[in-house]
Amino acid sequence: MLPLLPQIMCSAAETLLTRLIAMDPEARNRLARLQGKQLSFTLREMPLTIVLTATAETILFNQHNEPVDCAISTDLASLRLLRDPSQLTRLIKADVLQIEGDIQVAQQFSYFIQQLDPDWQQALSRYTGDALAHKISYLLHSLHSYLLLKQQQLEQLTTELVQDELQLSPTPTELQLFSEQVSQLHSSVELISQKIKQIQG
Amino acid sequence: MTEPDHNTTHFGFKTIPAEKKVSLVADVFHSVAAKYDIMNDVMSMGIHRLWKRFTIDCSGVRPGQQVLDLAGGTGDITALFSKRVGPTGKVVLADINASMLQVGRDKLRDLGLVNNIEFVQANAEALPFADNTFDIITIGFGLRNVTDKDAALRSMFRVLKPGGRLLVLEFSKPEQQWLSKLYDIYSFKVLPTMGQLIANDKESYQYLAESIRMHPDQDTLKSMMEQAGFAEVSYHNLTGGIVALHRGYKF
Repeated sequence: MLPLLPQIMCSAAETLLTRLIAMDPEARNRLARLQGKQLSFTLREMPLTIVLTATAETILFNQHNEPVDCAISTDLASLRLLRDPSQLTRLIKADVLQIEGDIQVAQQFSYFIQQLDPDWQQALSRYTGDALAHKISYLLHSLHSYLLLKQQQLEQLTTELVQDELQLSPTPTELQLFSEQVSQLHSSVELISQKIKQIQG
Repeated sequence: MTEPDHNTTHFGFKTIPAEKKVSLVADVFHSVAAKYDIMNDVMSMGIHRLWKRFTIDCSGVRPGQQVLDLAGGTGDITALFSKRVGPTGKVVLADINASMLQVGRDKLRDLGLVNNIEFVQANAEALPFADNTFDIITIGFGLRNVTDKDAALRSMFRVLKPGGRLLVLEFSKPEQQWLSKLYDIYSFKVLPTMGQLIANDKESYQYLAESIRMHPDQDTLKSMMEQAGFAEVSYHNLTGGIVALHRGYKF
């Protein structure tokens, strides 16, 4: 690892998060509950531990191995699964996730980050004026919904192509019909085998 | 580093009477105080911010701790610590030079950091604090300007709490020969010229370059810290040894 790289990363993350928190008028209130708490985060693939410290204004980033309120250690693959709370126990049992200390601190940090809703339109309006900021925001929103729509349409199209045109995969109804037929066959076979047993006996 | 005589000391490459060093160093810093921050950014190309961040990382600071930032100058390290110790902790910014302290006080105030910071004008050789006061002491780019370094280290050891740690961030000796050559050209040719252009003060930056060469190297400083009583002393070279961070514990 490049020397001083963790420091560059921490510095950048800290600046970014401070900006985002400053843009969310509600964030300060929620941060008050976290103030003074420390959460450390270690990825198995990387030999460094990132420590998050909550203050009244922001969340600070550091890199060290000192004891903290709650320490999480996991690997890159299971990072995605962390968002789903129902998976946590399974991950801990499978030994891919280790949590030491107060698990509530980790939950509070995660809750805070998920709730963070920066009012970037307000921040943007300071540079561009309200009208243009609204326009940009509207544009981005419509772009977002357009992309969502297109994604849905693409999914629909692919399904139809695979099921109806190319007939690579059965439709749900066909599948259900098939499994019913299998069940029927199963019971018929069962019946016959019973009868054969009776005849033999 | 051998002192030439009992009553003399180094001031850059010059040898001067020991009692004069304080006032000569004071002159240098009175002269550079106003342009200190911008010169730091230009001279180190901004890397000094990362060195200071690395120091904070090595301190393992926690909310509620008491921190002493010695020779804190314009308060860069104090600002980082102040946010991290929070309202329950305290940071004392100490510097022997009133001009530097004034610049630091103004800067921290402008940053909105006031609640948990105290300002003290103090000599590192005789710190005006009770025994076992601080969890962490840092001295960033200050130790080489102290006249009696051993006395300063002993004084720091005294005010540190048992279990506390001292961090000395200071210019040191580059590990590689080629880097050392490049660094010599940079600091004796380029630096004084930059000092002349930006701060209109060539002598002060000439002194800076010279004082760095006269400062004890990594292992000498390590043994000096051990002699002052610090345990588990270790150092990290940063940027090829141009700067070294020494860490020692009091048990």
